[in-house]
Amino acid sequence: MRRVPLHRRLRLLAATLAAALLALLATGTASAIQPGGITDEARLMNDLFWIVTIAGLIVFGLVGAALVYAMIRYRRQNDELPPQFHGGGKIEAAMVGVPVLIVIGLFTISMIILVQIDDKAEDEALTIDVTGFQFSWQFAYNLNDLGTNTDPNAEGTIAVIGTPANDPILYMPVDEPVEFLLKSNDVIHSFYVKDFLYKLDLIPGRVNSFTVTARETGDFSAQCAELCGTNHALMRFTVRVVERDEFDAWVAAEAARQLGDGALVSTSGTQGD
Amino acid sequence: MATVAVPQLSGYHRPAVLDWIMTVDHKKLGILYLYFTLFFFAVGGILALLVRTQLAVADNSFVGNDAYNQIFTMHASAMLFLFIIPVWAGFGNYLVPLQIGAADMAFPRINALSFWMLPPAGILMFAGFIVDGGAADGGWTAYSPLAQQTGVGMDMWIIAVIVLGMSSTIGAANFLVTMFRMRAPGMTMFRMPIFCWTMLVTALLQLLATPVLAAALVMLFIDRNYGGQFFDPNGGGNVVLWQNVFWFYSHPAVYIMILPGMGIVSEILPVFSRKPLFGYKAFVFATIGIGGLGFSVWAHHMFTTGSVLLPFFGFMTFMIGVPTGVKIFNWLGTLWGGSISFPTPMLFAIGFVSMFLIGGINGTYSAAVPVDFALHDTYFVVAHIHYVLFGGSVFAVFGGLYYWFPKIWGRQLNERLGKLHFVLMFVGFNVAFFPMHMLGLDGMPRRIAVYADSAGWEALNMLSTGGAFLIAVSMIPFLIAVVMAFMRPKDQPDDPWEGNTLEWATTSPPPDYNFDSLPPVRSERPLFDARHGDEAH
Ligand code: HEM
Ligand SMILES: [Cu+2]
Ligand SMILES: [Cu+2]
Repeated sequence: MRRVPLHRRLRLLAATLAAALLALLATGTASAIQPGGITDEARLMNDLFWIVTIAGLIVFGLVGAALVYAMIRYRRQNDELPPQFHGGGKIEAAMVGVPVLIVIGLFTISMIILVQIDDKAEDEALTIDVTGFQFSWQFAYNLNDLGTNTDPNAEGTIAVIGTPANDPILYMPVDEPVEFLLKSNDVIHSFYVKDFLYKLDLIPGRVNSFTVTARETGDFSAQCAELCGTNHALMRFTVRVVERDEFDAWVAAEAARQLGDGALVSTSGTQGD
Repeated sequence: MATVAVPQLSGYHRPAVLDWIMTVDHKKLGILYLYFTLFFFAVGGILALLVRTQLAVADNSFVGNDAYNQIFTMHASAMLFLFIIPVWAGFGNYLVPLQIGAADMAFPRINALSFWMLPPAGILMFAGFIVDGGAADGGWTAYSPLAQQTGVGMDMWIIAVIVLGMSSTIGAANFLVTMFRMRAPGMTMFRMPIFCWTMLVTALLQLLATPVLAAALVMLFIDRNYGGQFFDPNGGGNVVLWQNVFWFYSHPAVYIMILPGMGIVSEILPVFSRKPLFGYKAFVFATIGIGGLGFSVWAHHMFTTGSVLLPFFGFMTFMIGVPTGVKIFNWLGTLWGGSISFPTPMLFAIGFVSMFLIGGINGTYSAAVPVDFALHDTYFVVAHIHYVLFGGSVFAVFGGLYYWFPKIWGRQLNERLGKLHFVLMFVGFNVAFFPMHMLGLDGMPRRIAVYADSAGWEALNMLSTGGAFLIAVSMIPFLIAVVMAFMRPKDQPDDPWEGNTLEWATTSPPPDYNFDSLPPVRSERPLFDARHGDEAH
């Protein structure tokens, strides 16, 4: 089989390969209408996602085409020895130069976008205390830290606590910055909201935080993204982004329900210290 | 007395089994490594099929959540620690002495020791399934504090990984000494076969990185059993410290898992293109570059911990794209202008190049830090891992097996079955793993035992599971080809492929101590030179 003929079979093979790669490309692009995201930050990441995707498709297209072309054009047709070139200065310089340009370009764009995402929110942003535990979430709101509509004299904390069987809902207002403080007292979890295009870990012994401004209302499903034990897969929750007045109404109702008889509900006590 | 003993000794043949157990011959040890690692490839593959069966449909209860965590942890542990890392030691053991024209490894007994550490470690790790609390279930990354919570199976896993690490550390020292001290006359470092170069850099990485993992594992063991609190914030320890130390080993380990595969592909492509490797020196420097840079990117696995210097690690990670890109050019340039034939080893080598290309591109997403915030710990990463480790490393393993089978076993694997194997595996692989990109973009986290119907992930998961079973089916023609080959006599000539390197200058299989005489070594292709003289250069 190391002889000449069989180029029919060969062509078939090259064609299968090419078809497979093309099919990949097609399915890839068809459903990669994916990212999107509902926050200012996510929209920046979405831009970067598409830049990387386009760069990747170009590289894939060029290299893939060259590969398929070489396989067909240079298939063995006779027993002659082809020219034995080993490489050379100019081509080898290009071999290094082209990737250097690509990666420096992508790195620079990544950093520009990273800096924009990291722009820290003003102090008056609404703060939500997120505690992950095996295997659900607690979302706590301090009544005197509610963002635009804060009553500085309000006292107490309201909290939503989920169970693996009963996913909690995280309420947040649209069109204003919201800061998340992430804590854990048992193992590492990760706060992952697909439509934020973002996740950040909850790590015992440290507090992580990030800020986003949501631009769309609605329910968005989310879940823990760091393996945390048996029921890791059930650590789901819903992010419910609502208009400000709807948010205030929810807070008022919860405060009445949880703090109604005047007693301050200490929610952080529920999960160990 | 001596008169009695001597004839007895000379007439005495050790039973074959004893012969394999006592051997210090690098070829036999290499074969033992290959049998051992391919066995665990099968075990890891069966676990993968369990994983895929569980995930095929939404809200499945085929295996419970607890069992699922053990199964995927042991899938990865088997594939990484018991298959892909030691399989290169298998190829290396068999080939490095032959390729450099030596009679054996530098330290044959130490070589036997490194092999015989593997079986007890493999048994210990898998015995976790029969102890109370089950096998290790914290992922192959064993993140603390989760890794403090589980049963004794975790301790067995820790000890097994330490032993496996010791095996590869002493094996690495052996490879280095062999390559530095035992090359044939005329074989300068820059005439060494490219597979040997990749083994050399791999050995350096193992020597430098594995002890760090051993230290981390010992700390974890102390934390679990003796209240060490290295990784426990309540005792003044640091949770993220584990991740830093673990990835300081495990990122270089990623290159330990792929570099020799690149070496194999770089042996196969020139032979079947009938051209030298394009840019041999550039390839060597790129390999060294990847090895070096590999030590400065570990924290790219930790971008979402909030405790990483993002610009630095983002930059270093992108920089790895440069030597990687160089290699893609090496391979393209080798094919370019060649006279290419497509026997099975070549198909796997080209399969490697095309799939590794995708694995390089989808890796870029994670290097772009803000995109990684979205994709980290989702199925996108599972796709990336497998494009590199399966589309890359495993394709190279099979390419190498088909290529060196006639040398190692003196028989040829059937070409038709080989091609069928390749096509099924190539298609199955892409059907299994390409959809995982989309699942990851759609928000499916990795390491979850169940997903809700409402998530809308079922169709793609079902597709992926189908692909996984197609991969399993692709092993049937391979196994038939092996059985058929062993039913025939050893009939292979020294050099069935018109190879370039010294292993083809001796019989198939080679005799004890390998060579009667060596051809002169005046380039990195001594056999090509012997065949064609000065006709071409
Ligand atoms: C039959 C082929 C294979 C299939 C169907 C398969 C399938 C999978 C799946 C579905 C996961 C994700 C599990 C989860 O996150 O819940 C996974 C994880 C993984 N696989 Fe494979 N795999 C295969 C072969 C391999 C090979 C050959 C390697 C390495 C040489 C490998 C290495 C890994 C690693 C490192 C992980 C990550 C596990 C973790 O998150 O701790 N797999 N595999
Ligand atoms: Cu979790
Ligand atoms: Cu890494």
